[in-house]
Amino acid sequence: MTRWCIFLVMVLAGLTVASLALGDVALSWRDLWKTLIGAQDADPQNAMILYDLRLPRVLLAVLVGAALAVAGTITLAIMRNPLAEPGVLGINSGAAAAVMAVIVLLQDPPMLLLPAAGFLGAAAMAAAVYLLSWRGGTSSLRIILIGIGLGSLASAATTFLSAFGEIGDVQRAMIWLAGSVYDADLVKVRFLLAWLIVPLALAWMATRELDLIRFGDETAKSFGQPVDRVRGFMIVLCTLISGAAVAAAGLIGFVGLVAPHVAGRLVGPAHARILPVAALCGAILVVAADLVGRLIIAPIQLPAGIVTGLIGAPFFASLLWKRHHARG
Amino acid sequence: MARRRGRAARDGVRSLGLLLLFCLLVAATLWSVATGSTRIPLATVWDAVSSFDGSREHLLIVMIRLPRVLAAVLAGSALAVSGAVMQAVTNNPLASPGLLGINAGASFAVVLVITLFGAGSGGTFIWVAFGGAALAALLVHVLGSFGAAGQSTIGIVIAGAVVASFLTALTSAVLIFDQNTLDAVRLWTAGSVSGRTMTQNASVAPYILAGLSAGLLLARHLAILSLGREAARSLGQNQAVWRTASIVVVILLAGGAVALAGPIGFVGLVVPHIVRLAIGVDYRWILPFSAIGGAFLVVVADLAGRLIFHSQDFPVGVTTALFGAPFFLWLARNRAGRPA
Repeated sequence: MTRWCIFLVMVLAGLTVASLALGDVALSWRDLWKTLIGAQDADPQNAMILYDLRLPRVLLAVLVGAALAVAGTITLAIMRNPLAEPGVLGINSGAAAAVMAVIVLLQDPPMLLLPAAGFLGAAAMAAAVYLLSWRGGTSSLRIILIGIGLGSLASAATTFLSAFGEIGDVQRAMIWLAGSVYDADLVKVRFLLAWLIVPLALAWMATRELDLIRFGDETAKSFGQPVDRVRGFMIVLCTLISGAAVAAAGLIGFVGLVAPHVAGRLVGPAHARILPVAALCGAILVVAADLVGRLIIAPIQLPAGIVTGLIGAPFFASLLWKRHHARG
Repeated sequence: MARRRGRAARDGVRSLGLLLLFCLLVAATLWSVATGSTRIPLATVWDAVSSFDGSREHLLIVMIRLPRVLAAVLAGSALAVSGAVMQAVTNNPLASPGLLGINAGASFAVVLVITLFGAGSGGTFIWVAFGGAALAALLVHVLGSFGAAGQSTIGIVIAGAVVASFLTALTSAVLIFDQNTLDAVRLWTAGSVSGRTMTQNASVAPYILAGLSAGLLLARHLAILSLGREAARSLGQNQAVWRTASIVVVILLAGGAVALAGPIGFVGLVVPHIVRLAIGVDYRWILPFSAIGGAFLVVVADLAGRLIFHSQDFPVGVTTALFGAPFFLWLARNRAGRPA
């Protein structure tokens, strides 16, 4: 566990430094160092590139990746289904429908409205899924089914808007939905960090509950766990965490699904171990995706959400298969 | 004795239900053919099929309305049955034909062809979509059974998620930079049976019909597969063989459906659930009910789209969800998660 953590932190640090140094204007190691320690003879243009553009972007990628991975881990545990990711709760489809509606239906919506709409859409869907599946208690299957039903309604709305909306608007909405950390600034980073810190800490404190609920409702109950209350609480956490990530960066797919699986393969089933490792994996995935997306066909930038699908998916899959087969 | 009689009675009720659903499907089909910009009496519909005389009304029926409703029937039943098969094979309620990469493969192939060669004529992309769907599904199957000889369903689930997100990412990478292609493809992506021709139906129908009959023949093996790996093994089932056969069925069905009507996600995912919630978990009944129920849903959704929104082009992918989802939600809320 410690070994893996150290390894992953080193990978993340390496990627972060690379993200700070590489780009349209490549900074040398010395320039990078000078600017970071604020040396007297540092080039002010480098400081601008570093502090206004690259640092916020990399920090946002770290936060979003970690948040998506943690939310994915929670969903996986409470749903007990290997396909479960925060999207099962309707978070993605809700955010997509809300953002598509704002972009297509409003004339020139202010940029600040998009994250708010994304978060509200996600939260409203998650609340609706949970409330509709409540009938003197919940069950994982009922939440999954209700999530499918409500999710398909929201997707139908999105599809309708994208089929008949003005084509330029639709394309703008698609770019937002593809998921990227383009327009990061330090205000956004600080806001996201402040927002995430409490839910992430709560999730970290609740790892034992996650271990229990994963065994199944009956087993967890026999250990004295108030299953419904824990599940509701976890869904609230999950919505706060991944809703904020989606609001900040759009729909970066695959991270929430795969990071927990990889972490489970690396360090075993205990959530006290999975949670930090998954967060690191998620952060690495998004930072790497953003870096690759910036460089691969520069000066055109590919959104990070697309790169996670193109490169992250095959890479993590090969990792999963190797571990799987190594153990027989 | 009493139990056997109880089962016979339940089977009787189910047969009756199936018959009733079939009659509903026939009625909806006829209504759909008769309804449109001009109302055509059913007698004329019959004449158009039996003794075609080339009049305007007959042409309208034979060239436009019949192909359209036939496409809806074919696509609906194919999607629903393939969804039921997928859920049985993976033993996972979140599974759908989309999990095999069918929709992502078809969409990517269509988008690629439009980007490279232009939109072409007719606005439908039968073989491109079919080919893309089949290739993606084969890739998922090969990756998923790689090494472990198809021992675990989790392999195919992860392979499906990987291939689907890879292809979806490629598709969006093209679409966010190429507005013309986005414009050409977005109605197709929503799922539509508008403007289908008899030739298109005829070219896809053999695959779908083959898939449907094979699916119905497989019902018993699917029932065993759906019990999970351990139970299936202890019953002596050769899982690798039947799983592969099921995947081939899904490719035929869902590939044909996506070629005809575009990537409609809702039917394959939800109709099997509706059927299961309504009649129970016996796959020998789930499959025929899904076939007819799926066709019924898509025909009604297409009809409703034309009636309510007064548009020939209202995407059926949207209306299926609009009409199917509330019913599904009601069922899920009332039936799911309690002892049967």
